[in-house]
Amino acid sequence: MNSLTEFFSTDWDAMTRADWTGMVIVLILSVLMIGLYSWVFKPSNRDHFEQHRDFVNDNDEEMKRETGHGQTK
Amino acid sequence: MVESTPENPNYNMSIVKAFAVCAVVYLVVGALVGDLIAWQLSFPVLNFNEYLSFGRLRPLHTNAVIFAFGGCTLMATAFYIVQRTCGVPLWSNKMAWFTFIGWNLVIVSAVISFPMGWTSGKEYAELEWPIDILIAVVWLSYMFNFIMTIVNRKVSHIYVANWFFLGMMIMITYLHVVNSLAIPVTLTHSYSIYSGVHDAMIQWWWGHNAVGFFLTAGFLGIMYYFIPKQADMPIYSYRLSVLHFWALMFGYVWLGAHHLQYTALPDWAGSLGAAVSIAMIIPSWGGAVNGLMTLSGAWHKLRDDYVLRFMVVSLAFYAMSTFEGPVMSLKTVNALSHYTDWTIGHVHSGALGWVVMVSVGAIYHLIPRLWKTEMFSTSLVNTHFWIHTIGTVIYICAMWVSGLMQGLMWRATDEYGNLVYTFAESVAAMHPYYVLRSVGGVLVLIGALIMLYNVIMTIRGAEQPKSDESKTAAAQA
Repeated sequence: MNSLTEFFSTDWDAMTRADWTGMVIVLILSVLMIGLYSWVFKPSNRDHFEQHRDFVNDNDEEMKRETGHGQTK
Repeated sequence: MVESTPENPNYNMSIVKAFAVCAVVYLVVGALVGDLIAWQLSFPVLNFNEYLSFGRLRPLHTNAVIFAFGGCTLMATAFYIVQRTCGVPLWSNKMAWFTFIGWNLVIVSAVISFPMGWTSGKEYAELEWPIDILIAVVWLSYMFNFIMTIVNRKVSHIYVANWFFLGMMIMITYLHVVNSLAIPVTLTHSYSIYSGVHDAMIQWWWGHNAVGFFLTAGFLGIMYYFIPKQADMPIYSYRLSVLHFWALMFGYVWLGAHHLQYTALPDWAGSLGAAVSIAMIIPSWGGAVNGLMTLSGAWHKLRDDYVLRFMVVSLAFYAMSTFEGPVMSLKTVNALSHYTDWTIGHVHSGALGWVVMVSVGAIYHLIPRLWKTEMFSTSLVNTHFWIHTIGTVIYICAMWVSGLMQGLMWRATDEYGNLVYTFAESVAAMHPYYVLRSVGGVLVLIGALIMLYNVIMTIRGAEQPKSDESKTAAAQA
């Protein structure tokens, strides 16, 4: 056994309920974070996000966009 | 959108005005008490009696700056931003005024109870159980009003600043409730339901998240609205802001354990806290770069826009302290830095550099718009900027040097393994730096007083009858 496998070796039988709960939460959050990065940086999603860049300043465009997309209530 | 249209008469700007003025007053109070206790550390003779001793005034200082100044700033800006970005007035004006009165009641209770020595002893959550209940009720009213205003919005998109405010409100609600659970003994005394290392872990789970959510997420909401607004530029990357938000929400709650390295807390918990702290550099710097790059192509605006200067320098401090914090959480560095003044320097680079400067920038942006006038004196805003920046730099540099000296003196051993210095010798060595820190504090206090004077004169000027010419100029501002 080299030092790396030794470092990552885990006594699974010794895992308590709290250990399992924590590990599951960490794994779920890790997957969600990977999903988030992929979603945000997917090139086809660029315009979906960046259309709001000037949300606080570009008032006329914002109104047109909202109306055009049928988003304004 | 409502921004380009004349002021929507239904907007409740009175509540924003009230919170904004309170924030400026509480900045002066918090800085005054903070500087007094800094001088008390330098010259213990200034501890006049038990009511005005360092031990009782220190929680008053932290609560005054975090919850009184910071809280009022967050409430003013959240109520302002949510109305303007959602295009609707607040869901309930009565509830907003209940929040205002209740929050100020909490602050008055703190001013009375801390000098009396009534404290639960939990850092940044020292108030006793009856006041904790009041905080929970008032905070829920603030959050409910904010959420219902978003529910009633006229536009489909919820701007990223509102997400940051919402994240802060939700997280602070359960952090406050869980951390404050206690068994009351009398009206002014209680015992935490947690004990031993569990109590320590809950304390720092709250303690670091008070920084992460109250003093970071909420103020990032301020940054994402007021920087593009003041600069009249679009946000550099909206995608980065979305990533910044979710990474902050996912990550910050894990960090608290890094406050308890080398204690009874299991080693793995401290390692986890440090690992996530390092990972948080990425979104934090992403956010700081996003704010700074918003000025890309418009850096010349910094030459004469003093309000923008406050905001941009605040981002530099945000980037610096969100790098320094993770480095300090590493066990090797923590062995040197923990329990020293380095921590105090780090906290104040975040508090004075990031939180106060972005808040002051936002308030300077708000005051002329709320009262439909111009600032009484732009040169006083400039003076405030420089005096506050210099005071902050003096403060944190003094604490950095002092903290490193402390850490090195405490760990110094001779060839036989004996300690080279006594603890008292390390205290004596700190004296010049404590005086220097107090001087930095005086400058910050003077800056806050200048701001208060400028704000009062601006409001007084706005209430005077105006000529038609000045009215036109104010309307165009």
